[in-house]
Amino acid sequence: MEEVVLHYAAGSADRLSALLETTEKLLEPFPCRPPPLFTRWFPPTAGRPLPIRPAKPPPVISASGQTLAPPHSLQQDGSAPLQKPRDEPSREDGDSVSMSETPSPESLFKTSRPDPDRVLVLDSPVRRSWSVSSQRSAALRRSQPPSKQFDHMISVHQLNLRQRAKWTISQNHCEPSMEQVWRSLTRLIRSCRLPSCNANIQRDREQIWVFCDVLHSEQVGGFLKEELKLTGKIRLSVHKLGNVFSL
Amino acid sequence: MTTLTRQDLNFGQVVADILCEFLEVAIHLILYVREVYPSGIFQKRKKYNVPVQMSCHPELNQYIQDTLHCVKPLIEKNDAEKVVVVIMDKEHHPVERFVFEISQPTLLSISSDTLLSHVEQLLRAFILKISVCDAVLNNNPPGCSFSVLVHTRDAATRNMEKVQVIKDFPWIVADEQEVHMQEPRLIPLKTMTSDIVKMQLYVEERAQKT
Repeated sequence: MEEVVLHYAAGSADRLSALLETTEKLLEPFPCRPPPLFTRWFPPTAGRPLPIRPAKPPPVISASGQTLAPPHSLQQDGSAPLQKPRDEPSREDGDSVSMSETPSPESLFKTSRPDPDRVLVLDSPVRRSWSVSSQRSAALRRSQPPSKQFDHMISVHQLNLRQRAKWTISQNHCEPSMEQVWRSLTRLIRSCRLPSCNANIQRDREQIWVFCDVLHSEQVGGFLKEELKLTGKIRLSVHKLGNVFSL
Repeated sequence: MTTLTRQDLNFGQVVADILCEFLEVAIHLILYVREVYPSGIFQKRKKYNVPVQMSCHPELNQYIQDTLHCVKPLIEKNDAEKVVVVIMDKEHHPVERFVFEISQPTLLSISSDTLLSHVEQLLRAFILKISVCDAVLNNNPPGCSFSVLVHTRDAATRNMEKVQVIKDFPWIVADEQEVHMQEPRLIPLKTMTSDIVKMQLYVEERAQKT
C-alpha cells in the first residue's frame, strides 16, 4: 500500500485516534460482489431438435427504401438470394431536370406495396417528387432592401433573420394548375435561382410550401409571385406565430 | 396471493399477447441497432415509455407481423422455449444471435407484481439494453440479413401444424448452419422474472465476423 499522509488540526488524542480509525476503514479494500454466473436456461445440446423458421426470407431493402427482392423470389432455404433491382420508373412530366426525390418513407413504400399475391409490382409507373431542395448552397444576393412593412413586421415579432419562414401557395393562386406551378418551382430551386429555399407539395391540402430564411423571405415571395405568375395574396408564416406577412 | 393454472383466465393468451407485442418491438429495434436495414426506413416511436425505432416499410412490417402471428400459438401453449433473431452475413452464416429464452410457470401466482405495469417496466429494461447493445458488439459486415428461429420444447415437426396459421407463410425446420456458431462470444443482456413469465436475453456473437 502506498504511504498515506494525514494532515489534521492538532487537538485531543481521542480525536486523533478516531481519525486514524476512520482512515483505516476508508483504506480497506472496497468489497466487490462477483457478478452472478450467467447460464443459459436452455443450453444447446446435441439431442435438441432443430428450431423452425419461416420458409420465406425477409425482404431485402435498398438504402432508398425500395424492396430489391420480393420475398417469394428467394429460395426457400435462403441460400441464394436473387436480388434484382427494379427498373427506374419513368417520370410523369418528362422533365429533363432531375429532381431530388426525398419522399417520406410512407410515400416511397406506397409505390412498392405488393399486390395480394405478394408479387412486387409498382402501383403506377409514375413517381412524382413531393419535395425539392437545392443541392448547392449559394447566398441570395439582396438586390433590393426590405420594405418598411417587412422591417416593421420583423421588429414587432422579434424574428430572427435566420429562422425559417414558409410561403404558402394554394390552388387558387395557381394558373393554370398547381402541378404546373410545382414543376416550375422545382426548376427554379434546382437551378439555384431560389437559394436557401426548399419546398414541398402537399397534394392532399392542395398547397405548395416554400421554406426560406426570414432574411430573404420578402424577396423570395416577390420572386415567386413574379416568376410563377401567382394570383392573389400569398401568405408568409413562421413557426408558432402563424401568418405574419402577405404579398 | 392466489394460485391459478394456465387455463384460468386464459393466461397463456395474455402472456403470448404481451410477449409477441414485446418481440415485435424488439425485432424492429435489433434490425435498426445492428444496421440490418437502412436507417431511413425506421421512425422513432414510443413504446414502454421509451423511444424505440420501428420500421415503416410495409413489407418488412408484414413479414415480422406474420412471423410473430405464427409464433403466438406456440407461446400460448408454452411450447416455445427460445425465440432467436439471427443476423446472417451474405453467405447466410450467422454472425449474431439474439436469443430470447422464455420460461412460463405452470402455476401462476397472482400478486401485485402481476400488474401489467410492472411487467412493462421489466420489458422496458430489455428494450433499453437492446438499444445500447451496439456498444458491446462488433460491427456486422455489410449486406446482412436476418431470420427468426423458434426453438420448441418438443420435436419441431409436432409444432409445425401450430405455426402454420397463415396459409401464405409456411414454416420449415432450420438448417444446421443457421443454428450453430463456432465458439461464439456470449453477451448476457437482461433477465426478468415476473409471476407470469420469465425471460432472458443474451447475444451470441461470432468471433470473426469478416
